Amino acid sequence: MGAYIIRRLIYGVGVVIGVLFLLFILFFTVTEPDDIARRALGDKVPPEVIEQWKVNHGYDRPLWPWQDWDENLLFDHYRRMLTFDFGLSDADDSPIIDRIRAGMGPSLSLTIPLLVLGILIGIPLSLLVAFFRETYIDRMGVFLCVLAMSVSIILYIVGAQYLIGKVLRWYPISGFNADLLMLPRFLVLPIIVGLLSGIGGDVRFYRTVFLEESSRDFVRTARAKGASEPRIMTHHVLRNALIPILTRVVLAIPFLFTGALLLEAFFGIPGLGSMTFDAIQANDFATLRTMVFIGALSFVLGQIATDISYGFVDPRVRFE
Amino acid sequence: MDVESYVVSNSVTLGLVLACVWVARVVGREPIWRDAARQLWSRRRLAIVVVALYMTIGLVDSIAWKGGIPEDVVDVLPNAPLTLLDRAFLGTKEASYSAPFASVEFYGAEALKRPGQHPFGTDILGRDVLYLSLKGARVALLIGGLTSLIAIPLALIFGVGAGYFGGRFDDFVFFLISTLASIPGLLLLIALIMAMGRGTLSVCIALGVTSWVGFCRLTRAETLKLRELDYVSAARALGVPELRIVIRHILPNLAHLIVITFVLMFSGLVLSEAVLAWLGIGVDGSWGQMIDGARDELSRDPIIWWNLSASGAALFVLILAVNSVGDAIRDVLDPRTLKDSS
Amino acid sequence: MQRRPKAIANSRPSALCSPVMLAKGVIEGLDSRALGAGIRRACLLSLTALTLANFLGCSNDPYPSSQEGEKVLYSSFHEAPRTLDPAKAYNVGAHAITGAVYDTLLKYHFLKRPLELMPGLAVALPERIELADGRILYRFELRSDLLYANDECFELAEPGLRTREVVAADVAFQLFRVADAKVASPVIEPFSNIDGFQEFSQALTARREAEPTFGERPIREQYAAIGGVSGIVTPSRHVLEITLHRAYPQIKYWFAMEFATPVPWEAVTYYDGEEGRQRFDDHPVGTGPYILTEYDKQARYVLESSPNWYGIRHPEWQAPSAIFPSVGDEEDRLSGRLDYAGRSLPFINRVEVHREKENIPRFNKFLQGYYDASGIIKESFDKVVQEDALSPEMLERGVSLGKSVALDVFYIGFNLDDDVVGRLGGERSRKLRQAMSLVIDVEEYTRIFLNGRGVPAQSPIPPGIYGYRPDYDNPYTRVDLEQAKVLMTEAGYPNGIDPKTGEALRLTFDSYDTSTAGMTQVRFYTSAWKQIGIDVRIEATNYNQFHEKQRNGAYQVFQSGWVADYPDPENFLFLLWSEMGKSKFGGPNASNFSNATYDALFVSMKARENGPERMAEIREMIEILEVERPWIELFHREDYSLYHGWVRNVKPMGISTPTYQYRDLDPALRAANRLEWNEPIIWPAIVMLVLAVLVVLPGIRTYLQERQ
Repeated sequence: MGAYIIRRLIYGVGVVIGVLFLLFILFFTVTEPDDIARRALGDKVPPEVIEQWKVNHGYDRPLWPWQDWDENLLFDHYRRMLTFDFGLSDADDSPIIDRIRAGMGPSLSLTIPLLVLGILIGIPLSLLVAFFRETYIDRMGVFLCVLAMSVSIILYIVGAQYLIGKVLRWYPISGFNADLLMLPRFLVLPIIVGLLSGIGGDVRFYRTVFLEESSRDFVRTARAKGASEPRIMTHHVLRNALIPILTRVVLAIPFLFTGALLLEAFFGIPGLGSMTFDAIQANDFATLRTMVFIGALSFVLGQIATDISYGFVDPRVRFE
Repeated sequence: MDVESYVVSNSVTLGLVLACVWVARVVGREPIWRDAARQLWSRRRLAIVVVALYMTIGLVDSIAWKGGIPEDVVDVLPNAPLTLLDRAFLGTKEASYSAPFASVEFYGAEALKRPGQHPFGTDILGRDVLYLSLKGARVALLIGGLTSLIAIPLALIFGVGAGYFGGRFDDFVFFLISTLASIPGLLLLIALIMAMGRGTLSVCIALGVTSWVGFCRLTRAETLKLRELDYVSAARALGVPELRIVIRHILPNLAHLIVITFVLMFSGLVLSEAVLAWLGIGVDGSWGQMIDGARDELSRDPIIWWNLSASGAALFVLILAVNSVGDAIRDVLDPRTLKDSS
Repeated sequence: MQRRPKAIANSRPSALCSPVMLAKGVIEGLDSRALGAGIRRACLLSLTALTLANFLGCSNDPYPSSQEGEKVLYSSFHEAPRTLDPAKAYNVGAHAITGAVYDTLLKYHFLKRPLELMPGLAVALPERIELADGRILYRFELRSDLLYANDECFELAEPGLRTREVVAADVAFQLFRVADAKVASPVIEPFSNIDGFQEFSQALTARREAEPTFGERPIREQYAAIGGVSGIVTPSRHVLEITLHRAYPQIKYWFAMEFATPVPWEAVTYYDGEEGRQRFDDHPVGTGPYILTEYDKQARYVLESSPNWYGIRHPEWQAPSAIFPSVGDEEDRLSGRLDYAGRSLPFINRVEVHREKENIPRFNKFLQGYYDASGIIKESFDKVVQEDALSPEMLERGVSLGKSVALDVFYIGFNLDDDVVGRLGGERSRKLRQAMSLVIDVEEYTRIFLNGRGVPAQSPIPPGIYGYRPDYDNPYTRVDLEQAKVLMTEAGYPNGIDPKTGEALRLTFDSYDTSTAGMTQVRFYTSAWKQIGIDVRIEATNYNQFHEKQRNGAYQVFQSGWVADYPDPENFLFLLWSEMGKSKFGGPNASNFSNATYDALFVSMKARENGPERMAEIREMIEILEVERPWIELFHREDYSLYHGWVRNVKPMGISTPTYQYRDLDPALRAANRLEWNEPIIWPAIVMLVLAVLVVLPGIRTYLQERQ
């Protein structure tokens, strides 16, 4: 098992290196430093200033190792990313790491409740639907899921802001305040929207999983042996369903990241998603590539963790 | 030589129609597929009709030719190619339009007019909202279709290749998939589009690059399984060329997966485009763009609701219909799900 | 097909999941096995729900209730400024902070229009002395006993007070920073009129390159080692003398901007971004009426009044920039602004500026009373303004409206380096440009996109700037379709048909606004040009590609705008000066307009003080532009701002400088209004709850039936 973990880790490192190379291609060769500088400094700026800016931001070097082995952007890019030295934002010269630190809290205060509530509501609901299968509740449930999935998240956001925020005046239309007493009222709307847009797919997925697991042979065998229903459910169905659920939750990590991008931007939550959105608007490539890197890194780590935990959850998984 | 875009569009449309006819004939010959189609029709009649309607609209909007425009229509450039749909809507301008520029009402119809003479009202430029919503059908089909045309072959080539031949190629493909899959989808999309520049094609390519990964993984796993089947091993032992094995034995067994993925992917792609439109990097004339534009009108007083509702509803109905057809297709074609949900 | 699902339906469902459990627990409450767990869960859930409901307390108030009744001004910003370094900050968003934190030697009069300079930190307006060798000297005298805001970068002056007196050398230091290439200030060009400015800049860069250790020495020592700028001297502690090597009367305006404010060298050295210290870009230390006490770029920033500001420390000075002016127009008197005449500033001690990325939420919050002042978004214009006055609904709420023409100009530009629309096409292209100009209906454009909030531009010079002539009517900014068609024929494109291709003349319009709204606006122009048969394709690229194209000269038609730095015609007319050419020199002349007569007139006009000669030169330049049509002048924006009944003394300046210190507000009225306007509508929640129960109930019945 130790060897498996090590192999898995090495592979993860390989993937991260691959991601970084892709980033280099996209953000250094396709968009050139000159453009980045021009965008950052604006129209009214003379060329000397642009040159100076490129020096300040370390863009004044050749791209590839074969142009200059000691001083090139490729090696520099790898070195800086892997040591978490993200440098300065292209848009406002502030250290990116500071902004990530500042944005982490607001982001997590939105995404963690969203993820937890999504599971807490999604799994019971899907069990409910699975339980009432063959009845109108099941059919309606599935139909509602497809319905919920077919609405663009933008419509949800616009609708919630207009209806709940403007017309009914229940909650602030947007904004953020880290104060614990103030925080909830800002989070209600984005969480409702996030849940609405995600719940359909979740419920439909969990429902399938539960149905599949509860009709397996070993469940029937256990039942035939006279095991009590709670025991069957907790020891057989739920435990076996954990793998797909876990996989889905891990897959949801980057989804939260990107989903939060829209929610944060629309609802004015100053988190990482909001920061990414600003970076897109401002062509802040330094921030953008950092965020892509962090997103990929968190995904890879999450996946490694899942792969390893499979072994504990499901004895059928062998470490090959 | 500069080939006019409408010529390309017409030929592609023709090609697609022919391809559809061919597929229909092939399907008609195979009893399994025929049975599946019949089952599908009996389950999701309404949804299929809706999808067919959208496709017809898209088709009508894809056939364009030059000339034949009445003299008094000023809104159109001389010699511009117009589609069937454009032509159908040429006559629906405001009555005052017959005396253009007398009082210049945005060079044509009146802006933000309530539904009435225009069934769904007009937008801020005085364009008919119904017309724009219908035009969106072609864009949506283009996004979904073109992207699938990029993503599915890519996934098949890499997935089947990796699964069947294994070895180094498999390692490479697996690494490529893992790398692409580990980047959050929306970010990868944005990065690609910003790199390639705006436009329908680059949006489709970016969507294709981000969406082929999942399917590739599926085909790879499935091919791995198929390769070990007795008749495939037998064929290999008999010395049948590898390519022939792949085409005769592997691909047909993946066909149902292709169909399911295509339908399920389609709705995801169109919804993704709506998000991209909001970020300002979507496709021109898409519903996403219309929603994005209409979003602001919502806070006008008196409220301008027809704009948002028309585009939102057009998008929603198509996605709902496609999702519902997709579900049914999966139920019909994929025995595993079939077992659970009948 | 096997019908296996029955296995589940028939199996005992008690352990299936919590909602079922809950339903059982609540509805039946009798099932002995599930009873305990059911009640436990029900209790837990209702407890959570209760806390949640309590916690979430339906309220749309974005501010803590403790702030109610305080004199806090609430405002919003769209995007955090890149930098607050006064040598670099060059946009409205940044000036909203730097303008409040850094005081300048000269200020604009708050009420007088057109804008007029008056002394700020300086005792009086500068003396202008013509030297014998033709150079011009400006002599500023600073007030004595001015202090910087309290800041940890200073030594302890007395217990609890970390500050230092402001001296003329601080202004000189700041100007050296502007010259320093490493600072990368965007305004080197205008200050280069100062004697020795360029030389200092070059010597500094050269020394740093020659001597690597030199660049690591404290910045003040570096400047001293170079010997400073010869044209900037401080003969005494509070006197600053600026010598220009050529006439540049506009220099005085730059002393009303933060580029020439006193900056303490201690702050620049201390805030280096190392060891947890902030960067000077994010931590301004100035002499102004406010201090930036909280700065979260993503969420909000807070300005609080500075006890060290001279207006507060020395009210007896009656300094013109520290008391409310007593000279104003009729409107100032009517609105009650002049009632404040002679009172000491500031009236508001705290300004909270919150981030709002989206216009609509921002405006809605204004309507709800959570922002004190706001512009009007186009979507809500008809609701707010009717027949050019406030709507009854707004009047009832006590909202007031302020209007002013901004010092800016928006235009469609032609790239004159292009062979179809540009110089190479000669008369033919000129006629084409004239024709294209004649079909753009600016009034219609402003009506559609700006709700009429724009004055159609006749020339680059907006009202409120010297050289603007209200009686001037540019014959090419009218709409005349017939004339345009005639011109098209004369240009060799009858009915817009390009004889080369036999099809409609095809041009490209480059736009870097890829938003839906931006595209819609561009389509307005293209459909106008369609009328004369020109097929203008929109190429919406991103900002990078747009600039790439401009630098390579690969563009034809584009849209742009310019906002004044200072109220002088030179700041507009230089946009067409050939030395500012975009493709050749990277300047802001994106049309690449180059006309020898115009250039000569410009150079001469630039050096003159306002007067009849200058007026004549400006007139002649505008006449050249009229015929040559490098631009289709569109409009000068009109700013409409709304403010609530509890806010006093809002008067737009038309130039980016904040005026928080003049404002006042009535917190009691605000609190009462907010309460009245924001009562939540509860009944839909109840309806939804009932509906939910109605949906669930039959399900429970079905379940019960199955059990039996």
